[in-house]
Amino acid sequence: MGTDEGLRAAECFHPSDEEIEKWMDDAFDTAKDALENGEVPVGCLMVYSNQVIGKGRNEVNETKNATRHAEMVALDQLLAWCRHSNLDVSSVCERTALYVTVEPCIMCAAALRLLNIPVVVYGCRNERFGGCGSVLDVSSASLPQTGSTFKCVSGHRAEEAVEMLKTFYKQENPNGDQNLSLLLFLLSSPLLSSLFSSPRLIFSYISSLVSSFLLLSDFCFYAVSQELFINFFFAILSFLPFLYITS
Amino acid sequence: MVVWMRRFEAPNYHNHKGTVTSTSMCSLRCGIFLLQSDEGTSFRAENTKTMEPQTKRWKGSECDTDSWVAYPVLSDEQSQDVGLVEAYAAPIVNKKETSRLVRELNSLYPLNDLQHVKRVRAVKEKGSPHPLEVLVCLVSDAPAMKVVSIDSLLPSDGVKSDGLGEPFVVKVPARPPLTRPQFEQASKHWPTSFHEDKQVTVALRGELFSAPQKARMHVYMTSALTAARAANELGMEAVGAVMVDPAMERIVAVGHDCRGDHPLHHAVMVCVDLVARSQGGGCYTYDRYPACSFTSLTSDPVQKIPGAEASSQPYICTGYDLYVTREPCVMCAMALVHSRIGRVFYGSASADGAFGTKYKIHSQKDLNHRFEVYKGVLGKQCEDLNSLDGHVKKGK
Repeated sequence: MGTDEGLRAAECFHPSDEEIEKWMDDAFDTAKDALENGEVPVGCLMVYSNQVIGKGRNEVNETKNATRHAEMVALDQLLAWCRHSNLDVSSVCERTALYVTVEPCIMCAAALRLLNIPVVVYGCRNERFGGCGSVLDVSSASLPQTGSTFKCVSGHRAEEAVEMLKTFYKQENPNGDQNLSLLLFLLSSPLLSSLFSSPRLIFSYISSLVSSFLLLSDFCFYAVSQELFINFFFAILSFLPFLYITS
Repeated sequence: MVVWMRRFEAPNYHNHKGTVTSTSMCSLRCGIFLLQSDEGTSFRAENTKTMEPQTKRWKGSECDTDSWVAYPVLSDEQSQDVGLVEAYAAPIVNKKETSRLVRELNSLYPLNDLQHVKRVRAVKEKGSPHPLEVLVCLVSDAPAMKVVSIDSLLPSDGVKSDGLGEPFVVKVPARPPLTRPQFEQASKHWPTSFHEDKQVTVALRGELFSAPQKARMHVYMTSALTAARAANELGMEAVGAVMVDPAMERIVAVGHDCRGDHPLHHAVMVCVDLVARSQGGGCYTYDRYPACSFTSLTSDPVQKIPGAEASSQPYICTGYDLYVTREPCVMCAMALVHSRIGRVFYGSASADGAFGTKYKIHSQKDLNHRFEVYKGVLGKQCEDLNSLDGHVKKGK
């Protein structure tokens, strides 16, 4: 039932180039706001009959809830707007387009399906979590219990969106921050002090180094792949005996 | 002592280079946490991989834990058939030639993609004129030839065909077996080597969890069932979810379906936000629903355990176990990936489920967080919730 109606709505409902340009500008401004607030730079807009009824940016760190992606925030606003305007949610959603700087993740794609949003316009692909083809194709999969499929229009200002993500990943993750400085301290301390005077100390040194590494690899899930950490970690471990012998 | 250990370990790990798998990562972590915990509070080590079987003194407890079995939801690679490829094998007529033949065949036709396949097999049938058979090459690697014969397979200047009989086609497993059922299947065709993951084998038999562990799982799923029934009484779908900190053995949050006021408030999403609230975050209030609750961390004295200081600061759902009555949908499953969930236990499967039915998001290749999922915990009782749902849906 929902699938047929959704498809029909999508057919007669295709955003023009001017619309895409205009709304994507807004979405990029929202993403910049996220970047300035230490969140993953993704911004989005829900547009219904030429007006913005939902606007969101990533709020994961603020809320300590990893599901607070820009799309989920915007969908909440859409629902609040419907309640406020006394309009039926499903009839509004069927005529609402989502403009977002980065391809929605698997979770958000499923959420958009559940609400029967017919069209999603996005900038760059999301190789890490993308739910519109990059990792899984939730947007067009056959999932009869999960709302209706939606159409994707991709590639608008993709390079710019990627650049913003790169800028973010180059910065330190605020959650990994303290551990990184702890690690740096631990790595530099043997050069400053004679920490290696006894095996007991070297043991505590290793375990603290290891724990700070684990914390780092745990928390910086946006940072470099874990394998790199591990390799680095064992490189250091294999180097330690020589340090001990020479000191 | 320590130095000595490290010197032997380090180069060994170096060989792994970029191929450190998530499993080795996990066991590594467990090991390290055990090393650290002088006070015996191996707070994270216990919860992830190594739930040791304990004594069976709980057997007579009031929970009927024998009524259900938790089975693992394995990845496609672990649960699919290993696949078969055709190869030419030939009988070794002269047994004395075996080692030369294997050596020369290995250099002429190396089976690089089939490291798990053994080159030579013993012939089982009694009274066979030859005791051994050897793999010559894959059918796809064989040179073009009109009639299959041992001489056309082996170039005249290369391997001497002395001691080999005429070739015949066999099927060999295409991929290394990862589980015991796969190994048994593969071995029927050709001898195959197998590096057994004991935990998977035990889990597939449904014997991974000891009686006391099952008793605890029973208690957690029972509270999820209670929450599900509460949701149903309020006219919403009968789904409940419970987030547990397995290290402390305590419930962090209980949630149920709240689709009445928000179409995306599935039980798991509610539970994830309640966990955020327990950590001082969160963005919804579920105060209207008495069956939705969370345990605030600040008011909990158990937190002050030596050895579990800064590093034990909870971070989203890291290391937590989720018990949910029904297999989560795609949205909820991915929410759990984003939340770095430790393990998931569910009761009954669902039509669009993402932990086994439609997808296996917990073992999806490109995602950077993977975890174990078990199904069938109080399966019957969870299944029965669907009949409750039927009544509500009609009314909606």
